[in-house]
Amino acid sequence: MPQGGHFYLNKAGSRSTSSLPPEPVDIIRSKSCFRRVRLNVGGLPHEVLWRTLDRLPRTRLGKLRDCNSHESLMEVCDDYNLEENEYFFDRHPGAFTSILNFYRTGKLHMMEEMCALSFSQELDYWGIDEIYLESCCQARYHQKKEQMNEELKREADNLKDREGEEFDNTCCAEKRKKLWDLLEKPSSSVAAKILAIISILFIVLSTIALSLNTLPELQDTDEFGQSTDNPQLAHVEAVCIAWFTMEYLLRFLSSPNKWKFFKGPLNVIDLLAILPYYVTIFLTESNKSVLQFQNVRRVVQIFRIMRILRILKLARHSTGLQSLGFTLRRSYNELGLLILFLAMGIMIFSSLVFFAEKDEEDTKFKSIPASFWWATITMTTVGYGDIYPKTLLGKIVGGLCCIAGVLVIALPIPIIVNNFSEFYKEQKRQEKALKRREALERAKRNGSIVSMNLKEAFARSAELMDVVVEKSERPHDNHLSPSRWKWTPKRAASETSSNRSFNAQELRSPSKARATSPQRLNAQKLEEMYNQMAKTQSQPNLNAKDRGSRVGKQRDEIELGTIQDHGPPVLGTRDGVGDMKSLSSIDSYISCATDFQESTRFPHSPGIDLGVQESNRFSYSPATALSQHVGTKTGHQTTGEREPMLTPVSVTKPSCPENSRKFFFSGNYSKGLIPKGSCRSEGESGLSPLSDSSVMSDHSLLSPEVSVYTTASSRTPPKSPEDTTLAPTVFTFHDSSISKYIDADTDDDEHLRDISDTSPSERLLAGGSPKRSVNKNYQRGTNHLEAAQKMLGQNCLFPLEGIRGISHENHIGPEMHGSYQSQLCS
Amino acid sequence: MDPGLRKTHTLYFQWLGDLCAEGEIAVNIGGVRVVLFGDVLKRYPESRLAELVNCSTQNSELISSLCDDFDPGRKEFYFDRDPDTFKCIIDVYYFDEIHIKRGICPICFIKEMEFWKIDQSVLDECCKSYLSEKEEELKEIASKVKVILEDLEVDQCITRTQQCQRFLWKLMEKPGSSLPARIIAIASFLSILVSAVVMCVGTIPELQVTDAEGKLVEHPTLEAIETACMLWFTTEFLLRLASSPNKLHFALSIMNIIDFMAIMPFYVVLSLTYLGTTSMMELTNVQQAVQALRIMRIARIFKLARHSSGLQTLTYALKRSLKELGLLLMYMGVGIFVFSALGYTMEQSHPETLFRSIPQSFWWAIITMTTVGYGDIYPKTTLGKCNAAVSFLCGVIAIALPIHPIINNFVIFYNKQKVLETAAKHEVELMELKSGREARRKSHKNKCFHHVLLHSCKKCACS
Repeated sequence: MPQGGHFYLNKAGSRSTSSLPPEPVDIIRSKSCFRRVRLNVGGLPHEVLWRTLDRLPRTRLGKLRDCNSHESLMEVCDDYNLEENEYFFDRHPGAFTSILNFYRTGKLHMMEEMCALSFSQELDYWGIDEIYLESCCQARYHQKKEQMNEELKREADNLKDREGEEFDNTCCAEKRKKLWDLLEKPSSSVAAKILAIISILFIVLSTIALSLNTLPELQDTDEFGQSTDNPQLAHVEAVCIAWFTMEYLLRFLSSPNKWKFFKGPLNVIDLLAILPYYVTIFLTESNKSVLQFQNVRRVVQIFRIMRILRILKLARHSTGLQSLGFTLRRSYNELGLLILFLAMGIMIFSSLVFFAEKDEEDTKFKSIPASFWWATITMTTVGYGDIYPKTLLGKIVGGLCCIAGVLVIALPIPIIVNNFSEFYKEQKRQEKALKRREALERAKRNGSIVSMNLKEAFARSAELMDVVVEKSERPHDNHLSPSRWKWTPKRAASETSSNRSFNAQELRSPSKARATSPQRLNAQKLEEMYNQMAKTQSQPNLNAKDRGSRVGKQRDEIELGTIQDHGPPVLGTRDGVGDMKSLSSIDSYISCATDFQESTRFPHSPGIDLGVQESNRFSYSPATALSQHVGTKTGHQTTGEREPMLTPVSVTKPSCPENSRKFFFSGNYSKGLIPKGSCRSEGESGLSPLSDSSVMSDHSLLSPEVSVYTTASSRTPPKSPEDTTLAPTVFTFHDSSISKYIDADTDDDEHLRDISDTSPSERLLAGGSPKRSVNKNYQRGTNHLEAAQKMLGQNCLFPLEGIRGISHENHIGPEMHGSYQSQLCS
Repeated sequence: MDPGLRKTHTLYFQWLGDLCAEGEIAVNIGGVRVVLFGDVLKRYPESRLAELVNCSTQNSELISSLCDDFDPGRKEFYFDRDPDTFKCIIDVYYFDEIHIKRGICPICFIKEMEFWKIDQSVLDECCKSYLSEKEEELKEIASKVKVILEDLEVDQCITRTQQCQRFLWKLMEKPGSSLPARIIAIASFLSILVSAVVMCVGTIPELQVTDAEGKLVEHPTLEAIETACMLWFTTEFLLRLASSPNKLHFALSIMNIIDFMAIMPFYVVLSLTYLGTTSMMELTNVQQAVQALRIMRIARIFKLARHSSGLQTLTYALKRSLKELGLLLMYMGVGIFVFSALGYTMEQSHPETLFRSIPQSFWWAIITMTTVGYGDIYPKTTLGKCNAAVSFLCGVIAIALPIHPIINNFVIFYNKQKVLETAAKHEVELMELKSGREARRKSHKNKCFHHVLLHSCKKCACS
């Protein structure tokens, strides 16, 4: 994207020369000078008349016109350049084309290839109501959106079922958890698998015994002359029931949520399979007298029939049966249609055949209800032949009935089949994903480093991604050993150690020291670090005469940035829930850290440390905000989009001139929650937490045309909560074409395992049913939010460079985007 | 296409920075600068760009009517339009045809073409079908919207009778409009069910009573229920008829014809029996006619279609796939003829054959081909059995093949129905929004949130 690069540097020049933000007068003058305005959206330049934008004054672009101060402008757009009359928005350029056309033509159409959800997020950002979407595109949009929401919801439900267990409220939690895993998760261990097989065998055995029992040869007669069970088979039955009862009771005892367990459909089936036996025993034992016995027998017979229910116990062990049940539940509409069609057909044809056949001698079509049977058997093409028409008229009716039956049954079935196959596919996919995740966990537990293709890793599941992009000159991150991730707040040591380990400790320490005032401590530490770094950074900068014009004002800018940050309530209050809420409701803000590296010269400079640290922190905070947000989901509607105007931050560190002017920029960002999504449905919002990182590098700052803009992202692999020593997963990819080696790796495993354990939706639901890890996460989240705030301020210290770290969820690299979409839209 | 031509085409697609020579004009389409040859543009003199070339730069008024902005220094005409679409449309000057780029909504594209004053006929065939598909969908949505709007329409009729009529119409025809209307719909549905049950139960011999002449007639209580249902149907029908704004339209509607068919036999029977008892007609004739009319009672089951969208979908799907239905019947007919004839000839050798004639073996062929198989007629010779196996296979195929498109039609229509419903609702909302009735929209729960958002944004910007 040559234009993109060009643009960035242009702006960098202009914004830096005027160290102070432009006066409102300048802005107004600039706006009145031009009839048109240039909008740069994600690198694609657009030109539009101001009056076109005025057509929708309440939208983001409409407000751009009214903004006359630096702050308000920065709220609306991500960057601007008054000389060039250009405003920059860091959004997906593809969607913007259709959005701009909405201003021009008044008709909002949707690009065919756009994902409906992504488009809806874009609409949110630009402040356009989706209701404006033209009807030709609306049908598609809503259909897809509903489908997606449903799918996500289902996935979330499933994950909730799987992971929403908590064992820490009562005694022997460990043992109970083990027992639960043993009984409920056949794939968790060999013993569990064996147990499941034994259980299946018992079910099969008991059903066989049940059917054999009815064979007259095997039955005994009791003193009343009635046939009773074979004693051997009765023993088998007793053993089976004993097993079932034991299984049920153990399950019940070990279940984390008793009421939920009791309500579960599979458990209800279990109970129904056991109960009849005990009821029978109770009834026969309590009524020994002969008189009552006959009545009891009748009741007992009914309970005997209920024993058949145990065959349904197999559903626990078969995905297919479960999906069948789910399908039937979901397509009750279509089933109703099928029954209605059949009923109407039966009614019509039975009455027709009745009138045709009733005058025949010894006809079997004696009445319309009597011919119902014939119509049913004919329409379903069973055709026993006990009743069949004999007259010519009757035969014609019969022939029509056959064809109509075939048609009527065939029509609604494809819809049901479709439902089934969709669900079944989904189920299979989830099973596979679960297996892979478990494998990954196991591998990590063993301490081995899983290194894999970036693309593949992303395709696994859409998750929060945190990437630290660093230069290839640095050794690859294989040097990370689990020992470095130890939970020890050795700050002094960490400062000298590699940035990564420092980082990890930094992240952990606040939660450790929670008892005192961790947030402040942490933030102060950070600030201190940052200032230190800034000083060292300014040193080479002074030498760099090519940027001399800016250098003198650097300190001013730092101060300015600080004021600016602390002044407006960008993040609302400092702590607690409200704060979290506001952060999470921020449309897509934003963490950014630019890590300017002096490569070999300053391998251990604090700057590097901080850079990474920043990125970590930022990736951290929105994510925590996300989980927090779910916890406090109520009353979000109004917080809405007030905060999206949060000032985007940019951090730049001026380049050292001797250093071949290699710029390294790691924008790390994870989106909290889109406000709309969060309020509408969990599923939708579950989508959003993507983060991406962008690398912008250019070889020569003075010749902007050669700049290269690449986006690299990677998803973070999940971590099992059991780990205490974590080995990071390293993703690497190599892009020689831009003569840069980008080492993208997942930076913070600790954070991963808490936040992005599996998928966003799961995280969302974790909020609903709080589990331990989430709690931890939450607390830490507060700390890091604080840190994030600080960081925002610090980042704002350098609004001069023009390299923007704001990235939104749409800026996913092409390969990720593809895989993500393919996964979700499949 | 001529590769040379294509090359020149691309040559003139230039980015910023070029000064244009004589006979060239520079246009800026929404930020994308393109330099075009005047000669090329004049190929379509009607088009906007050609007009722009023709008019001189002096005539500023004309220029401003043609384009949105004009930069005299760079001699650049600015258009506030979509550059992507323009890139497609500009093709017409070079290749005389336009292809809609993938991803651009065809309706939107047509609007752009109208702006550039290029005739729709240059659109290539391959894209036309795409367009017509979309247009059809739009039309369907529009018709739905019309219906909804009619419902929403505020009473404009001044006279009292008209108001009454409208009120009645809503009460009878729109079950969703109010609670009483819903109750009426449910009552009507129940009465259909009851009358259908009564019709069936009435034929059970045990429940029938013998009349004076020793004939079995319906139980008096059942007859009373039947009469009550019929009265209900009649009043319903009459009210509908009275309240309908367009009587002819009403009379021709299928649902109303079914209604009429369901009511009519009852009254015909009544009048016939009256005529019979007053001995104006012969009693046996009357009884035969009554018997024949009893079959007509089945029509009341179809009245259910009014209350079930699934049934309406079915009828629509069947109507749409009449061709396939014909195909199905033809396949079956051919199969029946062939196999019954074959079966008949092959079974001739057996002394106790059940196949006595070809028309008689038609029945066997139908039963076999539809895999019903009653077993009243079955082949006894080996050859006949082979023939039966083949006919069964052919029957399965003959039914399965044409049924697939019918099912497809049904499924598509069924799914579309759902989508269209929501689309129409949104369309109505959009129209409301555009007509500025936002206060009303506020009451709409779903959209309320968004409203708040926009407002808060505005406040944000103001403060």
